[in-house]
Amino acid sequence: MRNIFLIARREYLERVRTKGFMIATILIPLLMGGGITASILIAKHSKSSSHIVIVSPDLALANDVQDQLNRDTEGEMLLNIVAPPSANTLPGLKASLKSKDIDGYLWITPAAQKGAKPKIEYRQGSSADLATRNTVRDALDKVLTRDRLVAQGMSKADVADMMSPITMNAADEEQDSTSANFAGAYVLFFLMYMVIMLYGMNVARSIIEEKTSRVFEVMLATVKPAEMMAGKVIGVGSVGLTQVFIWMAAAVVLTATPLLTHFLGGGTHISLSAAQVGYFIVYFLLGYLLYSSIAAALGAMTNSEQELQQLNMFLVMPLAACMVTLPLVLNSPNSIYARILSLIPFCTPLLMYMRISVSPVPWYEIAASIVLMAITIYVVLWIASRIYRVGILMYGKKPNLPEIVRWMKYS
Amino acid sequence: MATVVLDKIRKVYETKVAVEGLSLRIEPGTMFGLLGPNGSGKTSSIRMMIGITVPDSGTVTLFDKPFERDALKRVGYLPEERGLYKKMNVMEQITFMGQLRGLSATEADKRGKAWAERLQITEALPKKTEELSKGMQQKIQFITALIHEPELIIMDEPFSGLDPVNGALLQDTLMDLRREGKAILFSTHRMDQVEKMCDAIALIHRGRIVLEGNMREIKSRYPKNRVEVTFEGDNSFLRNAEVESAEEFGGGMASVKLRGDGITTMPDAQPLLAEAVARGTRISRFEVKEPTLEEIFIERVGGAVDA
Repeated sequence: MRNIFLIARREYLERVRTKGFMIATILIPLLMGGGITASILIAKHSKSSSHIVIVSPDLALANDVQDQLNRDTEGEMLLNIVAPPSANTLPGLKASLKSKDIDGYLWITPAAQKGAKPKIEYRQGSSADLATRNTVRDALDKVLTRDRLVAQGMSKADVADMMSPITMNAADEEQDSTSANFAGAYVLFFLMYMVIMLYGMNVARSIIEEKTSRVFEVMLATVKPAEMMAGKVIGVGSVGLTQVFIWMAAAVVLTATPLLTHFLGGGTHISLSAAQVGYFIVYFLLGYLLYSSIAAALGAMTNSEQELQQLNMFLVMPLAACMVTLPLVLNSPNSIYARILSLIPFCTPLLMYMRISVSPVPWYEIAASIVLMAITIYVVLWIASRIYRVGILMYGKKPNLPEIVRWMKYS
Repeated sequence: MATVVLDKIRKVYETKVAVEGLSLRIEPGTMFGLLGPNGSGKTSSIRMMIGITVPDSGTVTLFDKPFERDALKRVGYLPEERGLYKKMNVMEQITFMGQLRGLSATEADKRGKAWAERLQITEALPKKTEELSKGMQQKIQFITALIHEPELIIMDEPFSGLDPVNGALLQDTLMDLRREGKAILFSTHRMDQVEKMCDAIALIHRGRIVLEGNMREIKSRYPKNRVEVTFEGDNSFLRNAEVESAEEFGGGMASVKLRGDGITTMPDAQPLLAEAVARGTRISRFEVKEPTLEEIFIERVGGAVDA
């Protein structure tokens, strides 16, 4: 045990002290925070503040459209009305558009027949200004719907009442926490995926490094191969846990910041229940152990990073399969497919965790998934430590499958 | 009591026989040389001795007990290539290895510093291992192998890559350790070094021992059929009937091999000296010698040496 601890500590310190670790640990929350803040700021300021001219022979209709646009953009748009247009109006508008005095004009020609759709022409200076175009269309839609409802014989008061925006009861406790839970689960899912991927490969790489520098020969003359592997897996895993812990702490701080709460309008905290955090830790550890044991075996089998690249599909493919099946599990977390998939040990850490997060899962399924994973980890570790012990002393050519099977038999 | 006893160990890798029926014995307080060309099975034998690999058949006995991992605490091992963590700070590296061998952190630190002073590398301690020269790294490795005061020291090619000054320093250190009663085994393909340092040797060729035993004893088994001469004047005495072959160097020096295999006929240098004197050649040196280890080795394996 002392040796495992010493080896794990060495692996841990060597990694935590590198500049790469510090940069990744600090930079990623900063980038995440910056990204969220930036997107909120952009959303806040993407309201159109264009200058638009509304042209129509029908002054009342033009006024309606102007009112609606003012309401929708909270008065950000600069709007003029030309009603009715003269013969000079069109050339004048075209000139203004060209000289960029105005950003666009909206020409509404009412239909001759009452209640029919009017002819609408919209021209804008920059075809890329989608926000303004959408705002104009939305406003027009509302005005024309209203007009046609009135034309169908409804009273103006009834129409106004019907068209008023509904207010959703956002104070509904349960509704709110479920969506926040879901967001939290999603974030954790990607954290898990990233860390397993990153640090699993790290285990393989550090084994190759030891092989090429022949340190392992000194180590094997001192400690058991199993101790060496255990120390390595634990040490590298602790680095991953440290990083996740820092990132999660940063996420909590970030979502709790008054500034961010202000922008988000509150209620968007990534809230996690204690059980969720507990399951995250259990499945993260199990998943990490499983994948890093595979990685250790891969590392012991190969002599260089290039060779490892060719084999790392064994590590990537199960994880990628989990990603592909994720929508299926999310849409119907208790379907037979979702249940089977989440019991496959290679998918359990990601999929079972996701299922637990989005809907209640019977306790026996959770228990079964953990037992199955524990058995698989034991088997993979047993195979990996055999491959490790023999493979670490092999140089030169890459072993083929029959050779690896033969290694299992070496005492 | 013997520190190491190997009894008929055998190791086969796939189809290649690495070691075949190898037996040897190393006593405390002796310097044991494991000799042989590259690929002869030296490293394979060492690895079996310290449990990195297990022999297919035969037994390994350390400190009078069948091999068990616990015995490794009393063994110090220096592999042929640099077995150090490159990115690690030198002092941390020494402490880490010391702790793995059961020392406390403070004790490992204390001993590490004492060793660094003895090997004149104190200034390297705060540096990263990868910043050091090859020779410096070899010294650090030397320290990590000796920090726990092992009773058995196993060194695979310890002098490779060292300059003469540092080579002599490590050589002296090993001699000191032998005087302290440690058993030391080192492998090399440099026969001259072994002749100077070792009490006992084993010559390995193609996984088998071709010659083994006490150095003096081995040498005494071979007849003194070498004569080193330094002379002035007539050199025709070198064509004496007792001479099998002679090689002349500049400055009046010659190396002579005498007839006689030491079994049916004994080599005799006397007639050679008599003839030189009779011909009036001035002799300033006339030394009758044993064959060198290298010559013995070449004779035993029939010149099939690639190192």
